[in-house]
Amino acid sequence: MTSAVASNLLIDLLSGPRPAEWEKLREAAEARLAGQEWPTSSDEDWKYTDLKALAALSFPPAPRATVDISGHLLPEMVGTRQVFVNGHHAPHASCASAVPAGVRFLPLSTASEACHALGTVGPTHNQSPFEDLNTARFEDGAVLLVPKNMKVALPLHLLFITKAETPVIVFPRLLVVLERGAELELVEEHHGEGTYLTCPVVEIRVAEGAILRHERVQRDGDEAFHLSTLKAEIAKGGQYHSRTLSFGARLSRQQPWVRLAEGAEASLDGLALLEGQQVADTHSFMLHAEPNASSHQLHKCIVDGKARAIFNGQVLVAPHAQGTDAKQQSRNLLLSESARVDTKPQLEIYADDVKCSHGATVGQLDPEELFYLQSRGLNADDARNLLTYGFAADVLTHIPVASLRRSLRQLVMARTQAVSLGDLS
Amino acid sequence: MLSIKNLTATINGTPVLKGIDLEIKAGEIHAIMGPNGSGKSTLGKVLAGHPSYVVTGGEVRFEGQNLFDLEPDARARAGIFMGFQHPIEVPGVSNASFLRLAYNKKAEAEGRDELDPLEFDDFIHEKIKVVAMKEEFLDRSLNEGFSGGEKKRNEILQMAVLEPKLAILDELDSGLDIDALRVLGDAVNRLQRADRALLIITHFPRILETIQPHFVHVLSGGRILKSAGKELALELEERGYDWVLEEAAAGGAR
Repeated sequence: MTSAVASNLLIDLLSGPRPAEWEKLREAAEARLAGQEWPTSSDEDWKYTDLKALAALSFPPAPRATVDISGHLLPEMVGTRQVFVNGHHAPHASCASAVPAGVRFLPLSTASEACHALGTVGPTHNQSPFEDLNTARFEDGAVLLVPKNMKVALPLHLLFITKAETPVIVFPRLLVVLERGAELELVEEHHGEGTYLTCPVVEIRVAEGAILRHERVQRDGDEAFHLSTLKAEIAKGGQYHSRTLSFGARLSRQQPWVRLAEGAEASLDGLALLEGQQVADTHSFMLHAEPNASSHQLHKCIVDGKARAIFNGQVLVAPHAQGTDAKQQSRNLLLSESARVDTKPQLEIYADDVKCSHGATVGQLDPEELFYLQSRGLNADDARNLLTYGFAADVLTHIPVASLRRSLRQLVMARTQAVSLGDLS
Repeated sequence: MLSIKNLTATINGTPVLKGIDLEIKAGEIHAIMGPNGSGKSTLGKVLAGHPSYVVTGGEVRFEGQNLFDLEPDARARAGIFMGFQHPIEVPGVSNASFLRLAYNKKAEAEGRDELDPLEFDDFIHEKIKVVAMKEEFLDRSLNEGFSGGEKKRNEILQMAVLEPKLAILDELDSGLDIDALRVLGDAVNRLQRADRALLIITHFPRILETIQPHFVHVLSGGRILKSAGKELALELEERGYDWVLEEAAAGGAR
């Protein structure tokens, strides 16, 4: 594929009209895209994630649509939710009546105070063309601002839903700003049906001493492509804890970038449950820019059928970031002979007084574990299914929203053939 | 209940059991003792059906049935329980739900009613008292992050839940402090009944002060070198194992 043709594919995805607001941001993104080539497997960054299937389709912008969200409501968050359908705010499906006064949780289109903050996180080390596509064409998105020292008791719920009768492209957008000392729990979910390309962009600013807990659930449709970017800057002593749970989409990519200031903490956990021909890719970048920050990553994949998981975990410790504590673990369970995992830690350490560890395992279930369960009366199939379930459910154990934890456990049980084992919660 | 005749087994082609004979009747408590590497833990694992060992000869009957016709899980459902020396950690599966699952699989096999989560909750709260386990350990993932002693406590809890006919306890005392040893020893004693049997595998005689065996066997080099009553444990405490090995080498008692 020549570069001239390749570039056109990115430009084709810009076919929709440029929305009116944020003109400077959009122009800059378009300019970057004009000089960019369509990612192919000869790019190191896209070596294992083949976007050919995507290039064969065309994706016009998604029209407005209405959907029934009753199946997605969670009791803890009925009054704290914002819903976006096909990238547009859905006011009738949303309900923010229980959002505490002072917290701003609203569509970007009505939040003028967000103007100065949008697009300011970064620049990142792993700029994606799909982030630029989003910036150039997003219609609307969510803004979430938590004022100084406010500890929000209720979790907030953000639903991005896509309904595609014919192939479409959607650009979910989210900006989260926690001011000094604020605390928040956020659940971000992606659902959809039909063939579509979704390119979510999440920007996060956690100020000094603030704490954000972020659950990210990707349950896009079987025919969906999900190419997501997340950028977070965590100020001195701030904390960012996220869990990204990938279940859906035929091809998905998570590209988180996190910058840690002095004494900041981050955890970036992940679970991907893959079957059939699914591909799930995580390319993470943890930037220890200042001293004494700590980061923790646990990334787990269960891969069945002919599915494929990719994990590339970059950690960069800057020269003066002494006292850094960085841990990274990639654990993968292969359930079939034709399943495949490519996992690669990538540590660049320029400071000398640091603790950095990484580990990767790819394999089948441990025979000692199977024997232990069999010695308690579980037959071989039940033992295997229970261990597979446990491998995945381990990542769900600390999800603080009980109803979400329960429903994801049920989903994992169904996907690991553990349903016959009864209630395991 | 259990009849072992001339049992031989290998691991990776290396013989580890070289002709074991042992009869265990209901109501009896047997102790298998021996120096490290003697094959005593192997005997427990072979009886439980560990996949790494290959039985190369001999016969084992459990309640008249050929044990080696049964998969490990079928042996468990038939009433054999092995308390592991190093219990396995299973993240993501709560201890309580695992215990309930194991209980219900056995109940199902025996044609008894299974317990739903609420019924099991009442049942298990009685059982944890037997081993003095704190309630929080029920909600934690199975053995994950448990100390050595907590894991052993959990093994005996599983035994209390499953109520086996024959319990094989492999090095129950390793990793236990004296108080925990007494608590678990008492718990095992309380679980013992006329229709049950116990096989205690241990290096140190101390546990046999609490769980008093009817028979003590010294196993070394894959063979039982000496069998006697519980007084043998005291003698081993005083004199160590060497004299038994020397006696056997000199063609002495067997």
